[in-house]
Amino acid sequence: MEWHQTPGNHALCMRYHSTPAITTSLSSPIKVPPSSCGQEAVGMELETRPETLSIFRTQENDPACQSEQHLGQYYTVPPSHFHTVFPHGLPPRYQQQVKTFNEGCVMVRQPALELISHLKRADYSKPTMRYLLYGVKGSGKTMSLCHTVHYCSTQGWLVLHIPDAHLWVKNCKELLPSSYHASRFDQPIQASNWLRNFRTTNEHFLSKIKLRQRYVWTKRESTEEGRPLGELVDMGVSRVKSSSDVVGAVLKELRLQAGGTEGGFRLAVAVDGVNGLWGRTTLKKEDKSPVAPEELTLVHNLRKMINNDWCGGAVIATLSQTGSLYAPSSAYLPQELLGEEGFDSMDPFVPVPVSLYSEKEFESCYLYYLDRHWLQHPHSRTEEGKKELIFLSNRNPSVLERLCAFL
Amino acid sequence: MLYFGKQIIEISFALWHLPESLPRGLRGTTFSKMSASITGLLKPWTPRVFLVRWSRYNPYYLEPEPRKEVYHIPETELTPEQKEERELKSVRPIKAATNSVTSSVFNDPVLSKFVNMMMKDGDKIIAKGIITQTLENMKRKQVEKYHKAPEGKKAEIECNPYAIFHQALENCKPVIGLASIQKGGKFYQVPIPLTDNRRRFLAMKWMITECRDNKHRRTLMYEKLSQELLAAFSKEGNVVKRKHELHKMAESNRAYAHYRWW
Repeated sequence: MEWHQTPGNHALCMRYHSTPAITTSLSSPIKVPPSSCGQEAVGMELETRPETLSIFRTQENDPACQSEQHLGQYYTVPPSHFHTVFPHGLPPRYQQQVKTFNEGCVMVRQPALELISHLKRADYSKPTMRYLLYGVKGSGKTMSLCHTVHYCSTQGWLVLHIPDAHLWVKNCKELLPSSYHASRFDQPIQASNWLRNFRTTNEHFLSKIKLRQRYVWTKRESTEEGRPLGELVDMGVSRVKSSSDVVGAVLKELRLQAGGTEGGFRLAVAVDGVNGLWGRTTLKKEDKSPVAPEELTLVHNLRKMINNDWCGGAVIATLSQTGSLYAPSSAYLPQELLGEEGFDSMDPFVPVPVSLYSEKEFESCYLYYLDRHWLQHPHSRTEEGKKELIFLSNRNPSVLERLCAFL
Repeated sequence: MLYFGKQIIEISFALWHLPESLPRGLRGTTFSKMSASITGLLKPWTPRVFLVRWSRYNPYYLEPEPRKEVYHIPETELTPEQKEERELKSVRPIKAATNSVTSSVFNDPVLSKFVNMMMKDGDKIIAKGIITQTLENMKRKQVEKYHKAPEGKKAEIECNPYAIFHQALENCKPVIGLASIQKGGKFYQVPIPLTDNRRRFLAMKWMITECRDNKHRRTLMYEKLSQELLAAFSKEGNVVKRKHELHKMAESNRAYAHYRWW
């Protein structure tokens, strides 16, 4: 079986050259009756082939059209979309995997499908719905979030993706006192990095959205009403000192204009590691006293964004213990990680649990790694080896990935 | 079920605390006499203190069997010797297995030896971590090359990190070694044959010292090790060069070969 990427057509098209001996080389004996996957064959140049080969892949690359029949299957994110939609959202190991396999494949899983169905049916004239993905470490919360973000961007929404809120509350080398508000602190580097990635994601919106207020930065610098948002963002990227305030201004503008009837767009706020916004930081002021998260401009503005006092969009958040500060490693429930303050701010929200791989999903992942020549150890392709992988990883997606990395 | 070493129970230097059932005269005997006399007193007994993970076990103790296949043979297919062995195992105590022994299908004795040689201060976790990162790194580089290569070249690219590791080690093993032999007051470097163990040891030792010494301060060990292994796989790199230099020295000293008397 050969996989070709025909120039000009970014969807992979399958052209089979070799004989059915391929089915024997796959260790899993699962056979899917041709009728259930029939829809995938529409539009592709497939000769009549046993569908065993497509059990872990689907040709449905548009998240809006994916449904329960695609559960457990991998869809490919088209390479053209990849760098615009995900300049900064993906987990680092996944980015390495994309580079190695030369393609970006995401598994269609239950939590992401549930979220997408909620987003399709929600009423956007009402206050924003908040969705919270939670689960044990390594169960796939960030990947589900990225799947949803891909859906939002294919539907033409404006996506505000904060890759990890914990990055804003720790390891900050430069903490400037804010010019706008006396007791707050600015983080110029983090803010300008985020603005740069925001610009990459939402190029086409930057010229369409006009500011509704005049912003004064210094005695000589100001941005007038009616200027495009792009100008504000460019200013934030170039003038690093006021970038945190620019972020605040951008968030405010988007909040005001999201539900608007004329030229209204839908706003998706995707925050990974939202439990970092409430809790403690590891940053210290000059007199060595700890900085509370409220005293950081970025966190303050983001909290206002997560409130449900605006309409015309959705807030999708993920809890994360991995980067969190002062949280025990066994904690994964919303109550434990958000704390009282966080839970009260997020309440009411729609909790979406993310579980470990089911048997079907594990099979799918295993076949995908076999297909991409990632499982190289001869014993890993046997039944014994597969049982051992299940035992060692407990079907946890990230543990399985790390195990298969050196096998 | 995977079989790992037993939990540590209190180690006490209890070889000298013999059970009271032994007659007085035997308690003071030396080890060799004791073993002969203890095997003479064969009856199922549990020692008061358990001896775990010593290398000097009482010969009464049997070796552990970590392989899974042995336990999967049904009762009917056992040969008489195996049946006898099983009965013996049900009465005799068994030595505790060391941590390096597993029943995993992914166990590789050569790799375990390499991990042990890389280990410093008994910190096997770090050494094993470095090796797994090395294997992952090698596999990533090769798989990336594989996916980007044109169809004809794909079959030539070796993606299996274990195969690369074994082949690289083979390519680094010297065939002939040198020994320092004294004759007539002077020391001569005499070419000698090497045993398999010695060859494997030299290959691993050279690989590790090369990666420790000749790398940039900021390069991590796994990165350098993966570069060296890939180079050795294609018979380039400093380790293979060192092997060739050893061979040349041996070749140049052929005249002294008769100084070897074994």
